[in-house]
Amino acid sequence: MIERALALFFLCFSLAAEPLHAQVIGRIIGPGAERYPIAVSLLKDLGTGPDGKRFSEGIADAIARDLTLSGWFRVLDRSAYIEDAQRTGITLGTFDLRDWSIIGAEALIKGGFTLQGEDLQVELRLFDVYQAKEVVGKRYTGKAKDFRRIAHKFADEIIFQFTGVRGIFDTRIAYVSNAGGRFKEIYVSHLDGSDKIQVTNNRTINLSPSWTPDGRSILYTSYKDGNPSLYLFDLFAGKDAKFLSRGGLSLGGKWSRDGRFAAVSLEKDGNTDIYLLDRTGKTVRRVTDGASIAVSPTWSPDGNQLAFVSNRSGSPQIYVLELASGKTRRLTFSGSYNTSPDWSPRGDRIAYTGRAAGRFNIFAIDAKGGDPQLLTSNGGDNEDASWSPDGRFILFTSNRRGRYQLHIMQANGENQQRLTASGGDDTSPSWSPRTE
Amino acid sequence: MMGRPHSAIYGLMLLSFLVFAGCPPPTTTRPETASSSASQAPAGQGSVSEQSAARGAPQGQQARAPSSLEALRRGEGATTPASSPLKEIYFDYDRHDLRADARATLKGNADWLKDNPSVRIEIEGHCDERGTNEYNLALGAKRAQAAKDYLVSLGITANRLSTISYGEEVPVCKEQNEECWQKNRRDRFVIVPTRPAS
Repeated sequence: MIERALALFFLCFSLAAEPLHAQVIGRIIGPGAERYPIAVSLLKDLGTGPDGKRFSEGIADAIARDLTLSGWFRVLDRSAYIEDAQRTGITLGTFDLRDWSIIGAEALIKGGFTLQGEDLQVELRLFDVYQAKEVVGKRYTGKAKDFRRIAHKFADEIIFQFTGVRGIFDTRIAYVSNAGGRFKEIYVSHLDGSDKIQVTNNRTINLSPSWTPDGRSILYTSYKDGNPSLYLFDLFAGKDAKFLSRGGLSLGGKWSRDGRFAAVSLEKDGNTDIYLLDRTGKTVRRVTDGASIAVSPTWSPDGNQLAFVSNRSGSPQIYVLELASGKTRRLTFSGSYNTSPDWSPRGDRIAYTGRAAGRFNIFAIDAKGGDPQLLTSNGGDNEDASWSPDGRFILFTSNRRGRYQLHIMQANGENQQRLTASGGDDTSPSWSPRTE
Repeated sequence: MMGRPHSAIYGLMLLSFLVFAGCPPPTTTRPETASSSASQAPAGQGSVSEQSAARGAPQGQQARAPSSLEALRRGEGATTPASSPLKEIYFDYDRHDLRADARATLKGNADWLKDNPSVRIEIEGHCDERGTNEYNLALGAKRAQAAKDYLVSLGITANRLSTISYGEEVPVCKEQNEECWQKNRRDRFVIVPTRPAS
């Protein structure tokens, strides 16, 4: 049943967007800047659908949530809005901009939708309130159940208009949760926690999910057949397959960006080393070879280097290997426990979990080496960093409020916000690549 | 995955370091009660009587500890019964070398395995919850292998011994203090059920 539901979820989904009008807004936002005051109006029901509130509020809520999570916007509270969205138009001249300037909105999002059967059409527009201009407008068509994804796509468009780089809200995250009981299972959801799917349901231990570069499958480690082995779950087909059949611990695969190789940790005679496998699971190369532990590989975006954890110095530290030359250099020197590296898609930074003063926190360090920067210091333990596909955000898990919950922050550590509250421990997040 | 905020961690870690640095640990930090501390006394006097008892049982089936995965599936704690002939061993934080008390326990386990030559066992390596899941899985594998290597050096045939790491995934104790973490930094020895004769 789960598999069929998954297949339907992905196969039936198609979204078409057409530009209505586009003009780049002349404001810079970013680290240190003021949060941009923006209003997100309820959407106007342009037809006579029976379920209008679901889309009118649902789409506006999802856009507002995304913009808030980005940290770049201050979404004005809806209770302050003056106009009635159902009684005004959604194009310039059909509503009064003063209704928005008076409440302090410098930008405004308005839109409308029509529902016919299960087919949803949504039109969304971004206005510059003070210049009285439409900045961009888009029309989306899709299935009714995909209304949140339409919202995420338009939020990404707004962020593009403000920053020159598309947002990352039309992506998904995979993570481990024991919310269903004592078992650790793998889940996939949108960043805001919506459209959650339980990927595994084998009532054992499932760990270390990571995405294939096409965003189609999840590679993960599972004890479901007794021995911790690697499996590949195809989200489109709803099919699960064993990726690697061998004895011993097989752990934590990460795919190179071109999808040719998976870097994994394989244990033999008690020691865990890093290997490169091809798409069929065949070993192409053994990368580390020693008596010490080597785990948690992460690729540089160009595929030329791997960062990983080794305890060859006596404590777990992060090392970088240049694949062509085989040369390895130590990256972290501060502290006696540095693990879980994740290489930024921009290539310049590596985020990791480090222990200092008895607490675990997220750090980022220049990939060439240098001063590590502490990104989390808000209490509790903060672990398992995963970069957004644009390299501007980091997902991590934190127990600062009790149970481990997923959080998001900007790459410099600003604007830390909680994403999940499943009631269990949500850990090991992995951010999907961008998908169309 | 590290535990929740706990102000006494450092004190406890320091205490445990002092305790484990040079002398046999006191029974307060031992995870088990009377029977196991007896078996860890000067290389196995207490364990002799237990071995005798176990010898009478058919291949140790009576006190077979469930594997940690079996225990998890059933919703039971991954504990080793006091009557089990194969005792758990314990490790220091982020270490996989065998302490003196672990060697003494392993000698007792090896004696029982010699007396029960048809028994095959799976050695489970476990970690406490502090640190990263993946690194702890690798560390657990090292801990299981350390016991296997020592048992082989004591004359047990390697093909009777398999290993598996559970990392920090199946703790037996869930509090955030050193006493509890010590209980979790362990190797378990699980008798592999014999297949019906064909």
